[in-house]
Amino acid sequence: MNKIGLIIKREYLNKVTKKSFILMTFLGPLLFGGLIVGVIVMSLADNKSHQVLLVDPKGWIIEEEVVKPAQFGIQRNRFVDDAQMQFFFTTKEVNETAELKSGAYTMIVVLDSLTYADGKCQLFYESVPSMVAQSKVQGELENVLEKWRVKQKGIDYNAYQSIKQSVKFQMTNVNKPTEKEEVFQKAGVGFALAIIIYFFIFMYGVQVMRGVMEEKTNRIVEVIVSSVRPFQLMMGKVIGIGLVALTQFLMWIVLTGVIVSIGSFIYKDKLVSGAALVQQQGGITKGVPQPAVDELMDNQVINFFYDIPVADLLFSFIFFFIGGYLIYASLFAAIGAAVDQEADTQQFMMPVTLPLIFAYIVSVMMMNNPDGSIGTIFSIIPLTSPIVMMIKVAIGAPLWLRIVSMFVLVVSFIFFIWLAARIYRVGILMYGKKTTYKELWKWIRYSG
Amino acid sequence: MYTIEARHIHKSYATHKALNDVSIEVPSGSVFGLLGPNGAGKTTLIRIINQITGPDEGEVFFEGEHLQPKHVEHIGYLPEERGLYKKMKVGEQCMYLAQLKGLSAKDAKGRLNDWFERFGITSWWDKKVEDLSKGMAQKIQFITTVLHEPRLLILDEPFSGFDPINAELIRNEMLRLKNAGTTIILSTHDMGSVDTLCDNIALINRSQVILEGAVKEIKNRFRTRTYELAFVGAGMDLGIGLWGDYQLLSTTPKDDMHIAHIRLPENKQLNDLLAALIPHISIVSVNELIPDMDQIFIEAVKKFNAEHE
Repeated sequence: MNKIGLIIKREYLNKVTKKSFILMTFLGPLLFGGLIVGVIVMSLADNKSHQVLLVDPKGWIIEEEVVKPAQFGIQRNRFVDDAQMQFFFTTKEVNETAELKSGAYTMIVVLDSLTYADGKCQLFYESVPSMVAQSKVQGELENVLEKWRVKQKGIDYNAYQSIKQSVKFQMTNVNKPTEKEEVFQKAGVGFALAIIIYFFIFMYGVQVMRGVMEEKTNRIVEVIVSSVRPFQLMMGKVIGIGLVALTQFLMWIVLTGVIVSIGSFIYKDKLVSGAALVQQQGGITKGVPQPAVDELMDNQVINFFYDIPVADLLFSFIFFFIGGYLIYASLFAAIGAAVDQEADTQQFMMPVTLPLIFAYIVSVMMMNNPDGSIGTIFSIIPLTSPIVMMIKVAIGAPLWLRIVSMFVLVVSFIFFIWLAARIYRVGILMYGKKTTYKELWKWIRYSG
Repeated sequence: MYTIEARHIHKSYATHKALNDVSIEVPSGSVFGLLGPNGAGKTTLIRIINQITGPDEGEVFFEGEHLQPKHVEHIGYLPEERGLYKKMKVGEQCMYLAQLKGLSAKDAKGRLNDWFERFGITSWWDKKVEDLSKGMAQKIQFITTVLHEPRLLILDEPFSGFDPINAELIRNEMLRLKNAGTTIILSTHDMGSVDTLCDNIALINRSQVILEGAVKEIKNRFRTRTYELAFVGAGMDLGIGLWGDYQLLSTTPKDDMHIAHIRLPENKQLNDLLAALIPHISIVSVNELIPDMDQIFIEAVKKFNAEHE
């Protein structure tokens, strides 16, 4: 069998049979899947029921929305009670603390003389109401206050309603006219992948470094390099551990998929009722058109993973992960070879981790403007491109950018592997001396 | 036929010259002692032969061929600073190292079983290396060094860390391998083992070979024509017998005898000495004082250092 193959095999089997790897592989998706399902369930379905007391000293809202409909014997269309929320009204001042402590109400909204004009009012609670509950009350208030202001201006409210029109973009990328774009949402998916690459490069790069140091301090390295060339040993380790990372990633995808499917099946009812709640509220909230809400819901819950270029992203993820990993892992291997003990790694870790962290910061900034030129620049620079390119690809990077970025990455990882190998082959046999940058430079130029 | 022939090897590191025009010839089937003080350049030379590092100048031949990567499969190397993967199981580790040397998994398994039986350590197969004592780990290291039946075995301080019983075990294995035709390069400070094991030596000091050749020949070279004579009789009588150019170095009484160290002049043989003495004293025994490698080592290094100071 090829010797580098043997080294890869040892590294791979050694790592994937470790308890920590197995634990991470199964815990990761539980965490991710649990988080995804959990966030959706929690944010949409608030099964707590609320008793909301509206304190309205001016009394106009109560008069218009509650008293008058009751007088005419018609169903009111604002502050409608349902299973989750009952509304109570008063024009008198109340002791909020006492009322809440008595358990009669879960939320008390207090309007004052200025609220009708500026919209500011106070919300008292004992435990923070969910976003859904808050925004429902908020939506109701916004609507009635709008009605009051319209009347103040002497405009007919029904006429006002009929001319109110919101604007919605139908976004079209001229390069892909058939494709609908939800740029920010896609950028979010890209960002998630970028984080995974960042995390994996860091985690597995450090493992490469530890492995090299282990071989060096164990003194087994001299035995092995008498059988194989140092370059083979280094690459065997880098590739072996890289395959472990890919294995873990693929396992995560599969397991997360399974957990999300199971989760969304179990919580189906809650998701649907949550969706209904948001839709109902959306329909009566100004400014957010119904279709957008539908779309949001669809994407969030069901179509989240289907509306993105999966194959394209997966390919790019694997390509850029491998490229970035090769660069950083070989640098980490060089660090491991250059030092005798973990404490000495600090001085060399710094310049290697900085660009990685910088790439992360750039991708956070890109979330505001995914199509900006800052992202384009850093998706070409090879030390940041593996992370930044994920967002670019997710929102649909142009072909030229992909080609340039991939080309630069390939050239770079060849260069960095070469560079690392030159440090590695000298470093693994050097003991006892604290290595300086000057020394590293000598090693690099060193022949033979 | 030489297993290793190194010609005019130069090797420098950033700050110092590790090897300066070093040439050695290791005859096939012999045990070659590579001697020298710490830091003399032995490990560098060994690393060059193992192709771990390359010479700046000079050439190395393996069995007459230019040293090439394919030769690593015929070389077994036990470094002075040797280790194993602590977390790996003994058997797995041996299999891995054997396969790196080019053995197939099947061959490796078969040979390992033989060796483990021979050393009586079959129960160690599934143990983790970190659970082994130092001596146990050394045995494993020795096995993995010789498992692929190398034609050249390079042992750097093989006896350090062994108790006498295990050292004897390794010594016997070395002799067995030598008799089977294996060439052995032995780098050591243990001059006793050089005396008993080595056929040839090279003494490296300050990056240069300062002494080389067959052990017998070197010992000859360092002979001082000095004899140890045990006799019964008065010291005075010895003096009477020793006229002419004989040089009496010392006499010491021992029990009812005297022990004298006498150096012969160039024109006299042992027989002449005996002929001169027999009339005066009764001789109990006579031995030539042959210098041991320890003395030769110290003398050669001191002389070289004095000349180059």
